[in-house]
Amino acid sequence: MSSGYKPDILWSPHHADRYVICDTELSLYRIGPAGSSETKAGALPLSEETAATLLAINSDTPYMKCVAWYPKQEPECLLAVGQANGRVVLTSLGQSHNSKCKELVGKEFVPKHARQCNTLAWNPVDSNWLAAGLDKHRADFSVLIWDISSKFSPEAVPAEKVRLSGDVDSGLVVTKPLYELGQNDACLSLCWLPRDHQKLLLAGMHRNLAIFDLRNTSQKTFVNTKAIQGVTVDPHFQDRVASFFEGQVAIWDLRKFEKPVFTLTEQPKPLTKVAWCPTRMGLLATLTRDSNIIRLYDMQHTPMPFGDEVEPTIIERSVQPCSESIISSFAWHPSAQNRMVVVSPNRVMNDFTVFERISLAWSSTTALMWACGRHLYECTEDAGQGVAAAEKDIATKMRERAQSHYGHDTVQVWRNHVLAGGDDPQLRSLWYTLHFMKQYTENVEQKQQSNKQSLIYSGIKNIVKSSSGTTETRRCWSGSDRQTDVPWYHSEERSLALQLCGWISRGPDIDVEPFLKSLEQEGEWERAAAVALFNLDIRRAIQILNKGASAEKGDLNLNVVAMALSGYTDEKNSLWREMCSSLRLQLKKPYLCVMFAFLTSEPGAYDAVLYESRVAVRDRVAFACMFLNDAQLPRYIDKLANEMKEAGNLEGILLTGLTKDGVDLMESYVDQTGDVQTASFCMLKGSPGEVLKDPRVQCWIENYRNLLDAWRFWHKRAEFDIHRSKLDSSSKPLAQVFVSCNFCGKSISYSCSAMPHQGRGFSQYGVSGSPTKSKVTSCPGCRKPLPRCALCLMNMGTPVSSCPGTGKADEKADLTRDKKLAQFNNWFTWCHNCRHGGHAGHMLSWFRDHSECPVSACTCKCMQLDTTGNLVPSDSV
Amino acid sequence: MDLHILDHRLRVTSISKTGLEQYTHPLIKLIFLRNRTRCKFFSLTETPENYTVVLDEEGFKELQPSEHLQVEGSTWLPLNVVSNGNASSSSQSVGVTKIAKSVIAPLAEQHVSVFMLSTYQTDFILVREKDLSVVVESLVEEFNIFREEGGESVPVHSQDACNGLQRNGREVPHATVHPVLIPENQFCVMSLDPDTLPAIATILIDVLFYSNSPREGASIDQDMECIKFFSFSMIDGYVSLVMDTEAQKQFPTDLLFTSSSGELWRMVRIGGQPLGFDECGIVAQISQPLADSDISAYYISTFSFDHALVPEEDIVSVTEMLQAQRMSS
Repeated sequence: MSSGYKPDILWSPHHADRYVICDTELSLYRIGPAGSSETKAGALPLSEETAATLLAINSDTPYMKCVAWYPKQEPECLLAVGQANGRVVLTSLGQSHNSKCKELVGKEFVPKHARQCNTLAWNPVDSNWLAAGLDKHRADFSVLIWDISSKFSPEAVPAEKVRLSGDVDSGLVVTKPLYELGQNDACLSLCWLPRDHQKLLLAGMHRNLAIFDLRNTSQKTFVNTKAIQGVTVDPHFQDRVASFFEGQVAIWDLRKFEKPVFTLTEQPKPLTKVAWCPTRMGLLATLTRDSNIIRLYDMQHTPMPFGDEVEPTIIERSVQPCSESIISSFAWHPSAQNRMVVVSPNRVMNDFTVFERISLAWSSTTALMWACGRHLYECTEDAGQGVAAAEKDIATKMRERAQSHYGHDTVQVWRNHVLAGGDDPQLRSLWYTLHFMKQYTENVEQKQQSNKQSLIYSGIKNIVKSSSGTTETRRCWSGSDRQTDVPWYHSEERSLALQLCGWISRGPDIDVEPFLKSLEQEGEWERAAAVALFNLDIRRAIQILNKGASAEKGDLNLNVVAMALSGYTDEKNSLWREMCSSLRLQLKKPYLCVMFAFLTSEPGAYDAVLYESRVAVRDRVAFACMFLNDAQLPRYIDKLANEMKEAGNLEGILLTGLTKDGVDLMESYVDQTGDVQTASFCMLKGSPGEVLKDPRVQCWIENYRNLLDAWRFWHKRAEFDIHRSKLDSSSKPLAQVFVSCNFCGKSISYSCSAMPHQGRGFSQYGVSGSPTKSKVTSCPGCRKPLPRCALCLMNMGTPVSSCPGTGKADEKADLTRDKKLAQFNNWFTWCHNCRHGGHAGHMLSWFRDHSECPVSACTCKCMQLDTTGNLVPSDSV
Repeated sequence: MDLHILDHRLRVTSISKTGLEQYTHPLIKLIFLRNRTRCKFFSLTETPENYTVVLDEEGFKELQPSEHLQVEGSTWLPLNVVSNGNASSSSQSVGVTKIAKSVIAPLAEQHVSVFMLSTYQTDFILVREKDLSVVVESLVEEFNIFREEGGESVPVHSQDACNGLQRNGREVPHATVHPVLIPENQFCVMSLDPDTLPAIATILIDVLFYSNSPREGASIDQDMECIKFFSFSMIDGYVSLVMDTEAQKQFPTDLLFTSSSGELWRMVRIGGQPLGFDECGIVAQISQPLADSDISAYYISTFSFDHALVPEEDIVSVTEMLQAQRMSS
């Protein structure tokens, strides 16, 4: 490398902790951890962790142009130095005088005509061979291959004579090279080819790269190119060579040497060093003159040059090992991954590790994987029993829910929240809302009131807006004649809203008793008491609280609350009121808190109840429907609906219904949770086609289906599709497969529908229905027989006979299951490649043990052609 | 064998000894300040008569015209023979001898005037640009011809260059055998790492520009026998020096590159009076017999005379051979 006097850096081939810096002299350094006992006070810091210690300096060889380190373990630290006058000198650093390389050190190899030595390369196998590339001379060769042991060969001057003459030096000068190559040309760079150590790649002045084979030097392969400044072989891919010229790097494939595989031309300044990373496949580092940046080209799985069009993927990056200083040279660490030492023109060294790009992949289950360097990290969810269900990843939850048929209960819709695990209050609210909506529409259908039916799914927000004819009454506290000064509102729509909230089962009478009973059953004492109180039944409320206190695991404090409640007085300035309104805030239970808030607030000013966020939305809405007037109510509902929408709280579906607003709310929920499963099922319940047409809804549904496929829950996905097509008729898939007759070419199902016998579908070919009844084995169009099953040799259409080995008892036990399977077993199936096939059941059992086609003369590997055929569904049927 | 037509357009000039001082500035710039000029081809040869400067058009811009500067009217193109690596290495002869038969003789036959410039690294054959078609036509049989343009080698085919063979149109003069002069001094051909050029700058300036000043110890008696000849060239970054052993003594030995055998050369100067540029076949006259006897040679043409360098040990046979040639003509 024509580095002039700029320092270059050379790593020891065998000692990962040693390197040499060469400029006007050679300095051997040892690299070690900073601050350790090994490093002395004079150590130079290379990075935060490492420091270098100067071990030895050798300034015996002036006019150095290039240096190469002896590749073998022994003798260690033997260096060949190419000088400006073309002489190659062997020298050593930091070795004791009786070391093994003593005889070699000082040996000189002198070309016939002096000129600059540009490059040196030791043969990696025949390590006695040292190739030197020189500038051109009119009468001499530019590549000389020296044998460093030549003095010891028998032809050399006998050692005796040398001793007698006393001229030891003369014995150390070798002038006869082993091989001479490349006449009349300069050699700028050369390297031995690792695939065949007798071959040498030269880069010459006359703009060509040439490969010489030493066994026959008159033959060579060569290619004209400008990129001749330096050649270097990829240590991981022995046919890949990089060569450079000015600002261009050409990458060659030696098997297709006519032209470069590709050329990297980004840099306006001439390159000074190009080096493959020894520890990382396909990583090339380049350095330009007077630059503080090292550019890295990451060649990703370079495809073989099939056609001219193939361009490999290259990821280009730059690194700046030392922030300001210009880099003179760099060297990759031979073993530590992606590590290099860079040296600046004034010999400041820096230890630097190129950080590997991180690639990351989410699994369709909960795992997350990322790769960095040679490490692969997996992050999986803690599957231990101690993990709270709420903390589980949504993917885990969705998988579990899919397996428990979540969303599929279309009769008892509220039960879906139990299928979902029953521990999510939002899902509970959602499914109850949907349940009440469904319940109501069913009732309405009986009443033939179709106008309300569309309203019911549009949520309380819209129901309340359409409200008219509200009556304002002042009800008495039940059980007493005392008139309250609390105005109480009632209308048809309001009672509809109360139904949706679940407080009453059907209007128009306001009878919360069944609701209170169910709450009592579930042990929601405070909530039941609050609902009773809001229905102005203090006595019932006290009774509920008493019951709660005496129940198993009951809270005795409830009695105290009941006591406080019993002291209710509507006198404005009573002590009771004063104490209740201040102390209620200390109550931990939200429902108890709102009870006292209700009792102590002024009529019409129930903010303390309405905005108590710990109280379920449905209870607050029901409360509002009873106690807010026509002006206040829509305002409150709107405000609450917007709050829910922003928070993505599914309780808000009660307000928005399955409208566009509802989709907005669901969008916000999905954004937060990623739960496309609930979103898909919920939106499918919305009977109006508009929400289903919303692209967001379609996206959730498609994503959920993809997710099921990715989990190999193919049966679940099929179930979902069936479920979906029931609710959304537009999503029914069209027929995708047609079977045509070999003889007349008509579809066997099409032709039969055109025939007088109407309504014959696949069912007649044993696809469905009783296996014994239908037996159509010929084409309805031309009456020619249908193809035979390759295994049972019966014509298609013949039902599959049951397996003879199966016992009767088993058959009965698995009756339902068998029946289902039998239907599919009768299907036609065939290989798309060899076109052989037969009954699906037969084919399935054949390919369980074979990969080749069942037809004896056919060698088609049908099973291997099916990429998904070997995947087993991970869900049960 | 490949023949490369190099990407230099050259002018051949001569500076008279008396006018040298006018040109020292551009010459020093061209020799020492490589990064201040875009000149890629520069050759300066001092002979007793004058200084011959061969340089490309970039360099030529530096030379101000004056009465002391003589310029040959044409543009010259350098040719370079590349052995392609698989030439047999049986013949140890080097330089002009090697290309005498393949290049110089055919060109002489076609009456193409050539200007030879041998360096440490290679031999350049300069031909006039207008003769290029004839050159290509006469050499295309023997060589793969490439023209270098902007760093690329473009193959040249004969039809590209010329429509059929046409003679130069000049009368074929009977080959005159020119008188030769064989001075006593021994010459050496050397090279130098361009990076170390500054280290010998003062010596080089001294040798080039102050050679006429009396030197201590140099005896005037030898003047009759020795001739002043010094050549410096820097072509594509390669330095080549030709000087006699007296001049060489002034340089530090460790900086100059030469052959390990330390071979020395004797000079044969061709021409009794200035040869001019039109006569052809002069180089062939010398190189043919040398090639026949397998004697290696350097050949350096200057503005006035041609100079061949032959190995010291062969000078006797060369002398005899040239005398025989004179006798026969």
